[in-house]
Amino acid sequence: MKTTLGTNPLREGISTQQAPEPCALVIFGATGDLTHRKLVPALYNLAHEGQLPQSFAIVGFARRPKTHDEFRAELRDSVAQFSRFQPINPGVWDSFAQAIFYHQSEFADAKGYKSLDGFLRKLDAERGTAGRRLFYLATAPTEFIGIIEQLGANGLVQSGTGTQQRIIVEKPFGRSLPTAEELNHALAGVFDERHIFRIDHYLGKETVQNILALRFANEIFEPIWNQKYIDHVQITVAESLGVEGRGGYYDQSGAIRDMVQNHMMQLLCLVAAEPPTALEAEVIRDEKVKVLRAIRPIAPDQVQQFTVRGQYASGSMAGKPVPGYREEKSVSPDSRTETFVALKLFIDNWRWAGVPFYLRHGKRLPKGVAEIAIQFKAPPAVLFAAESPEPLQPNVLVLRIQPDEGIAVRMNAKVPGNVINLQPVKMDFLYGGSFGARSPEAYERLLHDAIAGDSTLFTRRDEVERSWRIIDAIIAGWDASPAPFPYESGTWGPPEADEFIERDGREWRRP
Amino acid sequence: MPNNAQLETFTAGAETAVDVAQIERQLHELWQLAAESEKDPTQRQITRACLFNFIVLSETEAGATHASEVISTLTSRHPCRAIVLSVASNSPTSELSASISAHCHLAGTGQKQVCCEQIAIHASGQSVAHLGSAVLPLLESDLPTIVWWPGNFLTRMDLFRRLIAVADRVIYDTSTWPDPQPQLAGLVRVLTEYPRCRFTDLSWTRLGLWRKLAAEFFDEPHCCAELMQIRAVDIVHGRGPGAALRAWLYGSWVAAQLRWPLPETRARIHLSERDDRDATSVGILSVAIKTGDATFSVRKNHGESTASATVDMPNACGLPRKRAFWPADDASLLSQELDHPARDPVYEKSLVIAASLLENIRQ
Repeated sequence: MKTTLGTNPLREGISTQQAPEPCALVIFGATGDLTHRKLVPALYNLAHEGQLPQSFAIVGFARRPKTHDEFRAELRDSVAQFSRFQPINPGVWDSFAQAIFYHQSEFADAKGYKSLDGFLRKLDAERGTAGRRLFYLATAPTEFIGIIEQLGANGLVQSGTGTQQRIIVEKPFGRSLPTAEELNHALAGVFDERHIFRIDHYLGKETVQNILALRFANEIFEPIWNQKYIDHVQITVAESLGVEGRGGYYDQSGAIRDMVQNHMMQLLCLVAAEPPTALEAEVIRDEKVKVLRAIRPIAPDQVQQFTVRGQYASGSMAGKPVPGYREEKSVSPDSRTETFVALKLFIDNWRWAGVPFYLRHGKRLPKGVAEIAIQFKAPPAVLFAAESPEPLQPNVLVLRIQPDEGIAVRMNAKVPGNVINLQPVKMDFLYGGSFGARSPEAYERLLHDAIAGDSTLFTRRDEVERSWRIIDAIIAGWDASPAPFPYESGTWGPPEADEFIERDGREWRRP
Repeated sequence: MPNNAQLETFTAGAETAVDVAQIERQLHELWQLAAESEKDPTQRQITRACLFNFIVLSETEAGATHASEVISTLTSRHPCRAIVLSVASNSPTSELSASISAHCHLAGTGQKQVCCEQIAIHASGQSVAHLGSAVLPLLESDLPTIVWWPGNFLTRMDLFRRLIAVADRVIYDTSTWPDPQPQLAGLVRVLTEYPRCRFTDLSWTRLGLWRKLAAEFFDEPHCCAELMQIRAVDIVHGRGPGAALRAWLYGSWVAAQLRWPLPETRARIHLSERDDRDATSVGILSVAIKTGDATFSVRKNHGESTASATVDMPNACGLPRKRAFWPADDASLLSQELDHPARDPVYEKSLVIAASLLENIRQ
C-alpha cells in the first residue's frame, strides 16, 4: 500500500512501514467507550511500533469538563488494560502522552469549533502537525451530521496550508438508504469523497484481508472459483452474546442493519469480486461495487422466499439460563426486531450465475464464530456408487474469520482396508499455528491507514448506498410480514431457518 | 508403535532417545498416534505445524541447551522442524546419537495445541564427518532450510560447506565471534561465493531501531535534503561483545545508502568507545549525524529500554521521539528475521564497506 513521503535512501530495507505525514487527530466522543477500549490503545500500539507520524497530536473533543492531564491519566488506565503491549512501556507512554490534549465543548456549539481551530493552529506551531487534520466521529450516530456541518461552517476543513482534511466515520452509516444518503450528502458538502474513511472494523481483520491473498496469490483456487464448480456459499457470523446493555440501540437497528448491511456484505464482496487489476483503494472498491450492483434485489413480496428472521427467546447459554430478547433492558416487550437473519442472495453475473449465497447471522447462537464456507458441487456418483451407499460428500473450503482463524478443506479419502470405503477428512490450516498470534488489532491497521491516507480498507459511498438498496427492500417486505420466528437461546436459530435452506436440498453447516 | 505415555512425554517436551536411522519413522508414528487421539473428545487436540527446516549447530553442550530453549520460544510464532546438531569434533570417541522431542503451544482460543518437533543429533570424533548424511534425509521436502550457526562458521568451513549446500539461509551473530573485525573480509568472500543463499547477522538485526530512528529524520523532504550535507557521523559505542563491529556496520550503512566513496567514508565516520553499564546489551550508545546546520541525534536512554531521537536545527523536522528497543534476546532477534525471508542487499552493501574500512585500518 502507499507511502506518503519522498524518497529517503536510509529507508531502504527497513522493515516497518514509513511513518505517515504529520497530522492532528481529533476524536469526537473522546470520553466514550470506543475511544477508551479501542482507539487510544490502538494509537499507543502504533506509537510503540514507531508507526505514528513524527509530528502528531491527539485532541479529544467531548462535553465533560476535563484538563489535559486528567484526560491523559484516564487514557493511561485504558491503555494499561487494553493495549496488546503489556505492561506499558513508561518511556513510550510519556512520549505518547505529551501528544494528547483535551478540548471541552458541546457538539452543537459553534464557539467550541472556533476555539478548536485556534487550538489546532497552536499545535501546528508547537508540534509541527503542519495544518493536517484527521477527524474521527466516535460519537452516537445522531451527532454525526451536526459535527460535520460545524466542521465545515467553522473553517476546520480547509486549512491555511490548502490541505484537504480527512474524516473517519464509524458505523452505522445511516439506518436506511435515505438516511445513509443524508449522511453522505452532509459529508460530501464538506469533505471530498477521497478524504472520507468509513470504518468497518471487519476489513481490518487479518483473516478478512487474507481472503484476497488466498484467492489471488494461489493459482489453484481461481480456476474453480465460479458457478461451474461451486454449488453454494454460506457466510455465517454467529454471536453467543445477547444485546449486552445495548437494547435501546439494537431495538431500533436489528440484526440486518447491525451486521448484514456492513460486515457481511463486505465479506460477500471479497469472496465474490473479480480480480482487481491493482492493490489500490479505488480499484478494489470498484470491484466490490460491481458485486453489489450484480446482487439480484429481493422485492418486498419475495422476502418469505429469500429470507428468514428470528428473535431469541429465553434459553440457556453455557449451562446458565438467559432471558429472551423481549425481556432485555430497554427492549420493547412486543418488539418485532430481528436478532437472527438468514438470507439467500444471487449474484447475477457470469461467474456466479445460479450460485446461492446464504448469509446467516444471529445473537444468542451456541457459539461466537464467523466463517465463509465455499461448498463445491458433488462429484459424479459413478465411480464409487456401488461401494458407497451414501452419496459422496462434496468438497468444502472454509475460511474461518474468528476464532481460530484459518482455512480448512473437506475432501473424501479411502478408509484403509481391503474394501473401498470413503470417508470425508478435513485438512486444516490454523493461521495462528503457522504465524503465531501477534497480529495487530483491526483498529490499529485501520487508524494507520487513515492517517496515511490509504482508503483501501474503508467503505466508499456507493458501496454503502448499494448495500442499503438491497437491505431496505428486505426491511420493507418484513414490515408487511408477520413477526420474527422465535428461537430458543443457545440454538442455531428458528427451525424455519433450517426449512428455508432444506427447501433447496441443502443444509446449514454447524460451524 | 509408541503408546500414549510416550506421546505425552514427547509432546511435553521431554527428550526421547532414538536410533538415528529410525528418527523419521518414530516421528511419523508419534504424530499418527496424536492424530488418532484427536478423535477422543477427552484428549486435547494436537496439530503439527512446520513452515521450514531449522538446523542449529552447536559446539558445546551449553550451546545445545540454549538452542533448545530458543527453539521452544521461537516455534510459538515460527513453527518448524528443528534439527539441533551438537558437534564435539575433538572428542577421542566417535559417536552419533539422537533424540526427539516436541515443542507445543496453545493456539487460538486454547483448544488446540500446535506442536513442532525437535531432533537433536550429537556427533563426536570421526562421526562429525558423517553428520551431513544424517541430516539430509531429515529435511522436510518443499520447505526452506535455514541454518542458525550461533558460533563462527568461518572456523568450520568443512562442515559449513556441507550444510550450506542444502541451506536457503544462514543466520549467525558476529557479536559472539572472538575478534570479529579481521574476519569481515572472509565473510564477504563467503557471501559472494554463495549468491543464492541469504546471510543474516543478528548483530545487524540489533541495529534495527538505530537505523529506523535515523531514517525517520529524513522522511520529510526538507530534512531529506540535509542528507547531502552530512559532514560527520559520530558513533559512540560501549565495550560489550561486538559493540565496535556494530558501530562500524552502522557507519557503513549510512555510507552505503548515501553512496559515499571510501575516502569520504573514512573521513566522515568517527567511532569512539565509552564505558557504560548498558553497553553490553546495546552496543551503540549514541549516534550524531551532523550537517552544516543541523545535528540529528539518537541516543540510548540510560536505565531505560528506550532510545530518543532529537534534531538540533532551525525549523526542526519533527519533535523529539522516544521509542522502545525491540527485545534483543536470540529468540526475538531470530523471530524478527524470520518474518523477512528475502535477501537483504542493504546489509550486504554495508558489510562490504565495513570490511573495506577495517581492512584499511589494519593495513
